[in-house]
Amino acid sequence: MGKRILAWGAAAILAGLSTTAAMPARAAGTDIRIVLPEDVDLLEPCMATRSNIGRVIFQNVNETLTEYQARDDGGDLQPRLAETWEQQPDGSWRFHLRQGVTFSDGSAFDAGDVKHSFDRAMSDQISCETPRYFGGMTVEAVVVDDHTIDFRADPAQPILPLLLSMVTIVPAETPVEFVRDPVGTGPYAVSEWTPGQRIVLTRREGCWGAEPQVTSATYVVRPDPAVRAAMVQTGEADLAPSISLIDATNPATDFPYLDPETVYLRLMHDVAPINDVRVRKALNMAIDREAFIGTLLPEGAQLAVALFPPTTAGSNPAVQVPAYDPEGARQLLAEAKADGVPVDTEIRLIARTAQYPNVTEVMEAMQQMLTEAGFNVKLQFYEVAEHESFYTKPYPKDQGPYMLAAMHDNSRGDPAFTMYFKYDSEGLQSGMADPKANDLIARASAATGDERVRLWQELVAYLHDEVVADVLLFHMVGYARVAERLDFRPSIATNGQLQLSQIGFH
Amino acid sequence: MLTFLRKRAVGSLISLIGLVVLVFFLSRLTGDPTALFLPVDATVEMREQFRALHGLNDPLLVQFGHYVRDLLHLDFGDSLRKARPAIEVVTEAFAWTLQLALITMSIVTILAIIIGALAAWRGGLFDRVASILSLIGASAPDFWVAIVGIVIFSVSLGWLPTSGTGTVWHWILPVAVLFIRPFGLIVQVVRGAMMTALSSAYVKTARAKGVRARPIIFVHALRNAMLPVITVIGDQAAALLNGAVVIETIFGFPGVGKLMIDSILQRDFNVVMAAIMVTALAIFLMNVLIDIAYALLDPRIRH
Amino acid sequence: MTDTTVMDEPGALRRYARMLWADKFALCAAIFLLVVLLMALFGPALIGDLATKQNLRGRNAPPFDLSRGWVWVMGADALGRPLLARIIVAAQNTVLIAAGAVLGSAIIGTTLGLVAGYAGRRTGEVIMRLADIIMSFPSLLLAVVVLYILGPSVANLVIVLAITRIPVYLRTTRAEVLEIRERMFVQAAQVMGAPSRRILFRHILPVVVPTLVTIATLDFAFVMLAESSLSFLGIGIQPPEITWGLMIAQGKQYLANAWWLSFWPGLAIILTTLSLNLLSNWLRIALDPVQRWRLEMRGRKND
Repeated sequence: MGKRILAWGAAAILAGLSTTAAMPARAAGTDIRIVLPEDVDLLEPCMATRSNIGRVIFQNVNETLTEYQARDDGGDLQPRLAETWEQQPDGSWRFHLRQGVTFSDGSAFDAGDVKHSFDRAMSDQISCETPRYFGGMTVEAVVVDDHTIDFRADPAQPILPLLLSMVTIVPAETPVEFVRDPVGTGPYAVSEWTPGQRIVLTRREGCWGAEPQVTSATYVVRPDPAVRAAMVQTGEADLAPSISLIDATNPATDFPYLDPETVYLRLMHDVAPINDVRVRKALNMAIDREAFIGTLLPEGAQLAVALFPPTTAGSNPAVQVPAYDPEGARQLLAEAKADGVPVDTEIRLIARTAQYPNVTEVMEAMQQMLTEAGFNVKLQFYEVAEHESFYTKPYPKDQGPYMLAAMHDNSRGDPAFTMYFKYDSEGLQSGMADPKANDLIARASAATGDERVRLWQELVAYLHDEVVADVLLFHMVGYARVAERLDFRPSIATNGQLQLSQIGFH
Repeated sequence: MLTFLRKRAVGSLISLIGLVVLVFFLSRLTGDPTALFLPVDATVEMREQFRALHGLNDPLLVQFGHYVRDLLHLDFGDSLRKARPAIEVVTEAFAWTLQLALITMSIVTILAIIIGALAAWRGGLFDRVASILSLIGASAPDFWVAIVGIVIFSVSLGWLPTSGTGTVWHWILPVAVLFIRPFGLIVQVVRGAMMTALSSAYVKTARAKGVRARPIIFVHALRNAMLPVITVIGDQAAALLNGAVVIETIFGFPGVGKLMIDSILQRDFNVVMAAIMVTALAIFLMNVLIDIAYALLDPRIRH
Repeated sequence: MTDTTVMDEPGALRRYARMLWADKFALCAAIFLLVVLLMALFGPALIGDLATKQNLRGRNAPPFDLSRGWVWVMGADALGRPLLARIIVAAQNTVLIAAGAVLGSAIIGTTLGLVAGYAGRRTGEVIMRLADIIMSFPSLLLAVVVLYILGPSVANLVIVLAITRIPVYLRTTRAEVLEIRERMFVQAAQVMGAPSRRILFRHILPVVVPTLVTIATLDFAFVMLAESSLSFLGIGIQPPEITWGLMIAQGKQYLANAWWLSFWPGLAIILTTLSLNLLSNWLRIALDPVQRWRLEMRGRKND
């Protein structure tokens, strides 16, 4: 009752301030409104692989030479600004560029733009995301003619065309500093950006390819998932790419999609008792993974046996999820204890607050399962920076045994984006040092074709069954709410990009 | 009066300098933004480059020297996350926060003083109902009220937009939710102070004398009760000037509260510093106004 | 002001009991607070296991279902734990933190305020500018700094919460002291050569206390809710440990589908605050010789 008086009081006073008050116009026609969960700090093309930025500009404004089309049943590499490419005898790659493409500032697209885009993204004068994909190699772009460009990598890169699907193309005039008005070859251009309030993309006339149906898209940010869901329901927005499982109650508008994030517990192999493989096995057996699906986690979430989605070439269907067996876990612990392993030591389970919906409950449940199997586990939540200090080397010293609940996203189409970082003894987030694993990672990264797939599969099985490297848990599922007037279905790609050209109308 | 203002300006400037030094060094103790800005699989070289580019490898005192030098040229540095001047980011957000705080506190002050004073004056049922309702409002979790408000007024009834900015209608829910806690608190303080003022001997005598004197007594007692009330109004206004995080998160309101939290969590130090300086300035200014109000209400306090 | 030595008279206890009986609201409040206190003292020892035993099949079980036993009357949370049992167990941490933070900030703030108002101009000025700094220092930054330097613990959580609430007590006390020390009876005591400490604590403090208590009771609610927002930094209470604030925060996302998760702990906070406030209002009248007759009259009528 108090609230109604307040609302009316406030309404009366505020209405007095303005006579032109009106409800916001509901989106209609072919202009759409999209509500995002996270603020967009930058609209910098070379940062488009960050999901919050990518959802706005990736392939809408700034395009790439090649495009990895992630689909729920696998994925493949498609031409985008490059029409064809082939590997040269010396191991370098030659790309033949699409002709007749213009940037939104009117200039024509040619090989010089590609070279500048690549050099700019790799420059040490700005902190782009791009260099992360080119670690441990030197790559040089060489212009052959206006429509042909070579990429020479040392050592030779079998997946270079895939790597270039992460490099966005900007005009050669773009300065080597973060820009606020991205210019690209894509079907849309940024027509308005009011930080904190909205970004508007408008369809360009006469760009290459089929003309998309959406004429303009307005992006707004609402951090609260319930509000995002409500906005689509009331018609204030047409699309919320990420809503909470709890709010996804309307089958007509709410669609699940496989999220490329994989949840796991990273183990430190150098501290007792986790240095004992029996203890690591017991940890895996003590967790009832099935119990989480359809309760704390969405129905479609999948159990993980590798840190990348099962749709990636290199995943190994022969590897089985460890069976839930608390009795067996207790036995293994008893055996280890008999050999003098200090299994009663307190092991910390370190998690990050608000990492994904329900993380608190998931971790509490996991702690109880581990305790029931005889472990002494203490749960500890940290904010992102403190959590990060445990996640990436150099690790804090003398922390005792701990397990780090972490998440990893690899929707890029190859295990190479995962394996070195997480399992090589030099990898920045690796908790282990195993010569055989190092060797397999090196060989698989250099191999091509079926050999590459076979080596990755061998590594997956070795890590999972013999080393018992970590406690792999789930491939997550996200929910999108799509207004009924839109013809759009979210997919595994929706996490990092949202191509307006793929949205139609009913 | 002028001497007072000059003294206060000097005092506030010293506080501001203290605050800047304190925040600069304390915030740097909480880690380095590198790992938070770069992706988790950034290479060692990328991390080194980033540190070098942003001067994070320099000794803390050197960094502080650079910061002060720039500050003297009114350069607050660039936001790490947003790659644009920190002061620009902060003033944009603060403009929203200031509007929200001003609107909310004006409504709160007027309504709370009227209802609190009436509760103390009339007593009985009115007092009980007003007290209990305002107490419930003040101790209810604000996101409850916000989400229930959205569900009722936006989703079910369709009267108000769920969130965002743009029209007057967008302000109603955020202001209504923000209103509740300071309102409850100030009603209680006004009521308590009025009870004390009304029970003092001279008021009782005057009250007994007749109906005609009552309005005068009411105003007189209210004036006596105002000292603690003004202090609490100031405290609540300061809280609003620091940003209303829940409101900003739920209603997508681009204020300074969420900006501050995000910047602290992401170690975007320049934005944290600029935000603290701007809000501190506003709070200091408000405290000066409060002290002037004390002096106006009670001439004996005048320095 | 008259001293309240009536406590020592024979039959004082009976007299107070009768005054409490006279005010039925205050009586209910006292009983409720007693229950909370008992829950806090014995809850964890008696039903600690019941509150932590998970059952994923019974998650979000709705309230008012008595078929499974009395602890399920409020329903179950997202891990199928009975909410009633959790509220009882959580009372301990909640009361500990809220009482610690509120008492800490009230005592420090009031003392500093007394000094600032009564001591020399310079000391007062320094203390007030210090309060300005605290007022504009974001509590989240303070929490992050404490977390990094001192590490996470419940004691540090209480320190952070206490520090951020000091200014309101400090400023309120000082404002009142400035006014009261000009009053006749204080001037008289000074002339008669009473020591400063006696004047402060015997003459000035009793006048300020009612306002401070009003603020403190509402601060209880504020601290109970704010505490959970710091838990997310990893400072203070961590799941599986619980407080009412944490229960509310965890139930937030279920507000539309399983309202009971955050409703009951929210109700507990509201009722506690309400009770504290009603009891403090009663206490104010009961301890004030000028107003005490109101309760005693009613008490006699009831006999």
